[in-house]
Amino acid sequence: MNARTLRAFTSVLAMVEMELRRVWHDPVEIVTRAVQPILWVTVFSVVMAHRVALGVQDYTSFIAPGVVFQSATFIALGYGIMMVFERESGVLKRLLSSPIPRANIVIGRALAGSVRASTQYIIVLASAALVGAKFTDNPLLLTAGYLIVIYVDIGFTAMSILLASVMKTRERFMGIMGAISMPLFFTSNALYPLKIMPKPLQMVALFNPLTYAVDATRGLILYDKLDISMDLLALTIFNVLFLAIAIKELSKIIE
Amino acid sequence: MVTLVTLAVEVRDLVKVYSGGVTALNGVNLTVEEGASHAILGPNGAGKTTLIRIVTTQIKPTRGSAKVFGFDVSSQGERVRELIGYVPQEMSLWTDLTGYENALIYAKIYGIESSRRAEVVEEALEFMGLREASRRLVKTYSGGMIRRLEIAIALMSRPRLIILDEPTIGLDPRARMLVWESLLSYKKEYGTTIFFATHYMDEADRYAESISLINRGKIIAEGTPLELKKTYGVDKVVLRVGGDAERAKEVLSGLGFSAVAGNNGEISVVTKEPATALPKIIEGLYSADIKVLEARVVEASLDDVFIKLTGRGISEGEERERVREVLSTRGMIRRGG
Repeated sequence: MNARTLRAFTSVLAMVEMELRRVWHDPVEIVTRAVQPILWVTVFSVVMAHRVALGVQDYTSFIAPGVVFQSATFIALGYGIMMVFERESGVLKRLLSSPIPRANIVIGRALAGSVRASTQYIIVLASAALVGAKFTDNPLLLTAGYLIVIYVDIGFTAMSILLASVMKTRERFMGIMGAISMPLFFTSNALYPLKIMPKPLQMVALFNPLTYAVDATRGLILYDKLDISMDLLALTIFNVLFLAIAIKELSKIIE
Repeated sequence: MVTLVTLAVEVRDLVKVYSGGVTALNGVNLTVEEGASHAILGPNGAGKTTLIRIVTTQIKPTRGSAKVFGFDVSSQGERVRELIGYVPQEMSLWTDLTGYENALIYAKIYGIESSRRAEVVEEALEFMGLREASRRLVKTYSGGMIRRLEIAIALMSRPRLIILDEPTIGLDPRARMLVWESLLSYKKEYGTTIFFATHYMDEADRYAESISLINRGKIIAEGTPLELKKTYGVDKVVLRVGGDAERAKEVLSGLGFSAVAGNNGEISVVTKEPATALPKIIEGLYSADIKVLEARVVEASLDDVFIKLTGRGISEGEERERVREVLSTRGMIRRGG
């Protein structure tokens, strides 16, 4: 690794470190963010399992990866609000004037946002396990599931940074956030299998990155399924696309 | 013998029109020599921050060029950013981290090698007098400490040019003095060029070796503080006399001076040469049996220069509003992280 690459790599990791240090100083947000997903897996899933025939044997286990992504993606999508705040403060101006390439700012912040969001994986799976959910006992597959969460939320955080660049004000940003997050959740396979969805909704789900994220994680931690290449391909296309657009549009955030 | 001067900043015919059609800069020309301390002075909305944003490569100009040590800000942004340290007007710290953590994260972002990173961070904090407070969360810092930390961070990469946007806005006089003492001491030690925007006349007067006055997106005058005051300002001799001020005015008029009586009983005599005028004035008034109770020389200020050039001073109300705005943003961010 040459000096330039090392510097670029360090600057990206520095932003992740910044995020982890912030969580370390104030972990309350992680806990408060977890309340809703915990209710999904400990109350909703248990009740639904007894009431509705979804063609799924163990609904609590089934829904857990979906709830992980509902919660983590919501945090990732909300990360852009921090960029809006940083636009109003001087942080972003200082970052834009620092020697690191603009792309690294987006990649670094996207990775930082996704690492912050990924904490939900541990909390949700632990809560689901407490009410009887069964996951793989293979630590490598559990770790792979965690890495999928980080990987997917890089794309969602990039999408959020893009929205922050275009929307610019907190109010507009919050408005668009609400318009995106819940539809993403409900038009994916997070709560129910694709096969029971109406045909038009199935088509929409195929264009929803959350579908592939949930499918990959469900495959890894519920069914010990190793072949997730198609999911990874779809998620890579999503990540590359949104990182590229977010990098291109970053300059708009300051204008 | 020809001495080659290196230009730290060179701005030519710079125009910036924002997407809403607002013209922030309208043909700005400006040069800053290496090693100088140069102020861009003007009221709120004059174009100071836009100029700084272009020079720091945050935004691109609509027309014209800006160079930093010969590198073009539009096409060689990365090279420019390697040479500058920048302190924006708004707070640029993560308030929910400690001072040390902020400095460390920025050291990594600036690409300071890991082998000397800890030393550089400690040195910068020590230099700005923040070593003891460095393990505290930034949200517990005073406004002056926050500013010194921001400057410490900007200095970590040993920039050849440090650019500050309103470096002491909202600070009390003692905190302002501390900030400037540290900056000037750094400049003396490392020969760093300082380019700063301010609306504080006294700050530009005291700490800048050269000044560009900006108004409505145009540079309206340039020079050292003394040159500007000599060229555009006028000194005054202010008198308090025993007896009739009107008669004193007549006597002074007879001596060839233009005198104005104020409401407070004081008489102001405008003069380009107060040192030679003062004895003549006192002598003339004594000869006419008018007692001079008090006489003092009031030098021209940059405010006078600004009024002379633009027909208006910097509106205090407007500036107070701006200071309040900046402070409220800082306060809000300090609370909300």
